[in-house]
Amino acid sequence: MKKSSIILIVVIAVAIAMIMVIYTDSSTYSTFTEAKGKQTELYVVGVLNKEKDLLYDPVTDANHFSFYMYDNDSTECQVVFNGSKPQDIERSEQIVLTGKMEGDVFHASKILMKCPSKYNQDEVEVIEMESTPVTASLN
Amino acid sequence: MDVNYVGENLLPGQIGQFFVILSFGAALLSFASYFFATKNPEEKSWQNIARVGFWLNALSILIIGMVLFYIIYNHLFEYHYAYAHSSTTLPTHYIISAFWEGQEGSFWLWMFWQVVMGIVLVFKAKSWENPVMTFVMLCQVFLASMLLGVEVFGSRIGSSPFILLRDALQAPIFSDPNYLSMIRDGRGLNPLLQNYWMVIHPPTLFLGFAAMIVPFAYAAAGLWQKRFKEWITPGLPWALFAVMVLGAGIIMGSFWAYEALNFGGFWAWDPVENVSIIPWLTLIAAVHVMIAYKHTGHAYFTACFLSLISFVLVIYASFLTRSGILGETSVHSFTSLGMSGQLVIFNVAFLLIMIFLLVVRRKEMPSTKIEEDIYSREFWLFIGALVLTVACVQMIATTSIPVFNAIFGTNVAPPIDPIPHYNKWQGAFAVVVMLLTAFTQFLKFKRTDAKKFWAATIASFVLAIVISAVIIYFTHIYTNVMYMLITLTSVFCILANLRILGDSFKGKWRLSGSAVSHIGFGLLLIGALIAAATNEVISVNSSNYIAVAGFDQVEKPGENLFLTENEPVQMGKYRITYVGDSVAAPNVYYKIKYEEINEETGEAKNAFILMPFAQNNPDMGGLIGTPGTKHFLTHDIYTLITAAASDSHKSIQGNDEDAAGFDQYDEPATYLVNIGDTLRYRNGFYTIEGINRNATLENMPVAADDILVGLQIKVFASDGTQHSAEPVFLIKGGNTFDFHKDVEAQGLRFRFTKILPEENKLELMTYQKPLPEKKWVVFKAIKFPYINFFWYGTIVMTVGFGMAIYRRIKDGRATSKRNA
Repeated sequence: MKKSSIILIVVIAVAIAMIMVIYTDSSTYSTFTEAKGKQTELYVVGVLNKEKDLLYDPVTDANHFSFYMYDNDSTECQVVFNGSKPQDIERSEQIVLTGKMEGDVFHASKILMKCPSKYNQDEVEVIEMESTPVTASLN
Repeated sequence: MDVNYVGENLLPGQIGQFFVILSFGAALLSFASYFFATKNPEEKSWQNIARVGFWLNALSILIIGMVLFYIIYNHLFEYHYAYAHSSTTLPTHYIISAFWEGQEGSFWLWMFWQVVMGIVLVFKAKSWENPVMTFVMLCQVFLASMLLGVEVFGSRIGSSPFILLRDALQAPIFSDPNYLSMIRDGRGLNPLLQNYWMVIHPPTLFLGFAAMIVPFAYAAAGLWQKRFKEWITPGLPWALFAVMVLGAGIIMGSFWAYEALNFGGFWAWDPVENVSIIPWLTLIAAVHVMIAYKHTGHAYFTACFLSLISFVLVIYASFLTRSGILGETSVHSFTSLGMSGQLVIFNVAFLLIMIFLLVVRRKEMPSTKIEEDIYSREFWLFIGALVLTVACVQMIATTSIPVFNAIFGTNVAPPIDPIPHYNKWQGAFAVVVMLLTAFTQFLKFKRTDAKKFWAATIASFVLAIVISAVIIYFTHIYTNVMYMLITLTSVFCILANLRILGDSFKGKWRLSGSAVSHIGFGLLLIGALIAAATNEVISVNSSNYIAVAGFDQVEKPGENLFLTENEPVQMGKYRITYVGDSVAAPNVYYKIKYEEINEETGEAKNAFILMPFAQNNPDMGGLIGTPGTKHFLTHDIYTLITAAASDSHKSIQGNDEDAAGFDQYDEPATYLVNIGDTLRYRNGFYTIEGINRNATLENMPVAADDILVGLQIKVFASDGTQHSAEPVFLIKGGNTFDFHKDVEAQGLRFRFTKILPEENKLELMTYQKPLPEKKWVVFKAIKFPYINFFWYGTIVMTVGFGMAIYRRIKDGRATSKRNA
């Protein structure tokens, strides 16, 4: 057999393996209800319940942060994060959690937040808008 | 709505916008003229027009840059770019970072570097100038269109950096002609970007990206003009240059991430990182195949294909990062400016050029019928290029999941834990690539003596096993086969290339460049591997965890440690104290003292203080920590503040409570006192010294029948300091008033409220502030062993590329002399 055919076969084999691994490693965005049925780690997308308290008391435990979140089906669930409280979570408009359900509590291993202020141009303008009249009256 | 706005400086914007349009027009003219100059080489006038267009474009870009800098530097917040990316408090050197924080600025940077490349090409490319510059200027046309910001047939093309704030945003304040005086300050630069690496990393990265057009242009020109073989010689130093600069730029970004970002690492397989490393790898593959072709005539198609695809991938990278398509999969990508369509056209245009040229010329391309010998360097160079390409395909496939979602309407999420996902593939590819880089050094082009090859290879390999065994033993990575294999092959690669380097001292200096850069890459890989594999969180907080076998689910102990001011905590071999903080607006620096404790004597040695800092910027999302890192020869100690008492930040923001208010004091105590009395308070005592009948008040005329008396109080604090205060009591026109006095340092406030003559007593009210909350921080500390190899390896690799460029330019001159 020619060397080039051997190389070709090897490349194709590796390519197939890669596609399969990407397929098995890739995940889906799911909900708290679905998470209850699964034992594996997955993504849950949702929004913070700003009515309920965010619990983080670094004096007693610097590595325990819990809050309530609504997922995309509007199911509410308590989330526990083994780490310090992400500073801007109150302002987040969307949260992507990585983790799994244990009992009725979702244990997050990673919290990714989308914050309006960071780059979104118009949202900050509102804040700017609220503060401007004060300055204007002082002038 | 016609409003005459006050205080706007519109001239710079108008000048800027004029040159934005001119830069586009000039680039278009230059592109078209270079195209016709290539088609009609005998007509010199085409080339002259093309050059005029090029210089006009260069001039416009220079002026755009200067005007934009002027706007940001002078804080002209009537321009959206200055408002959105800078503020008056920003130090001057970060004004430079603010310049390229936005997409417009980074497009400008790209164009600017492309102009610099163009100048070199215009002067040096000689017969290649016309066809090569055709492609460079085509790219320039696309880039210039990104800044246009004009409406054509209802859709906006590009986004101009000179757009006015009142045009960019819809808000009621803009109906006020004096709106500018209400805008106190710009939104400021993202605190994460306020780092000196952000001044130098983007220009380097964009120089690398911009340089990649040149190998593309040479390869394309070679196919177009059917100068198949010639383009390799002038194209090779350019390709090496692009690889050198882009590599340095990527690692600088990695260093910035390590120094300034808070994810605790230097590489996270983030999409933004992946898309910048993919074209780097494909162009490295291209360089190797180009060399193979030069020496043996094999693999022409591969050399062309890789040179071309590298630049297409650069555009793809900029599409992914700038179109907003990555969305929630990336922590740091630009948001969409609504230009994704334009970016897609840009990308597809260059992809089509590539496919078109390769298809049209497929029959005429040089090719060899005989197969490469297995004992030949070109065969393994080709295999190496193939492995790198396959590695890139893996990265592109996973990184592009959001793109597939957008195209096919699916909703697939990327791997939950991307780092192991990429590591398992890229680790395996790294092993193969390093192995190839090692033994190919012992092969010659065309045909090698098999015996000699095996003798040299086995000798180096045995030595590599010994050395890597020592490394593996001391760095404790023997639990992971992949880590061991990467270490072994990297050491093998370094040894093999050291041998080549040794030969170069004996006179074969020509290969020294490649040897040095291979050694650098080997060191880089070992450093990255050890630092990534063995870094350990040393701020482990196990105090809250009680292990009960079979009862409690084993939970990993927290990585954050709570520290109260001046209360030392033992952490591994360090005793750690939070000594206090200092404020340098807008940052608060937390002083964390590390002391290594000698276990026998209990003495502290090797004390050092780390100053991680944090910026509380509500507009950018709360407290943003920047780590402090202590660099040792063998490891780094990295410390990051993840939460802190908010006091220090409040004082920066200047929204202190009204000093006259009584809210911040506890309930007062009322005493009836006499001169000479001593009273206690929480932090010491105070005495009533006497009465001042000649007390005066500022801004308060005292009439003859008014009574104005001061009460002299001396405060003795427990820390030995003394303070005095004199509250005043006033009877004016039958009404009583009192004027309190504060001893701020002790949190005390005194009121002299009444005189009771019949009892011969004076009434004193004492207010005390509640005890201040003790300052605390929550922090995380990570030890990165041997990370220095990663940085030093990069430097060595860059030097090696530089040496190789020097050699290839020299070779190129020699070739052109021979031909002349």
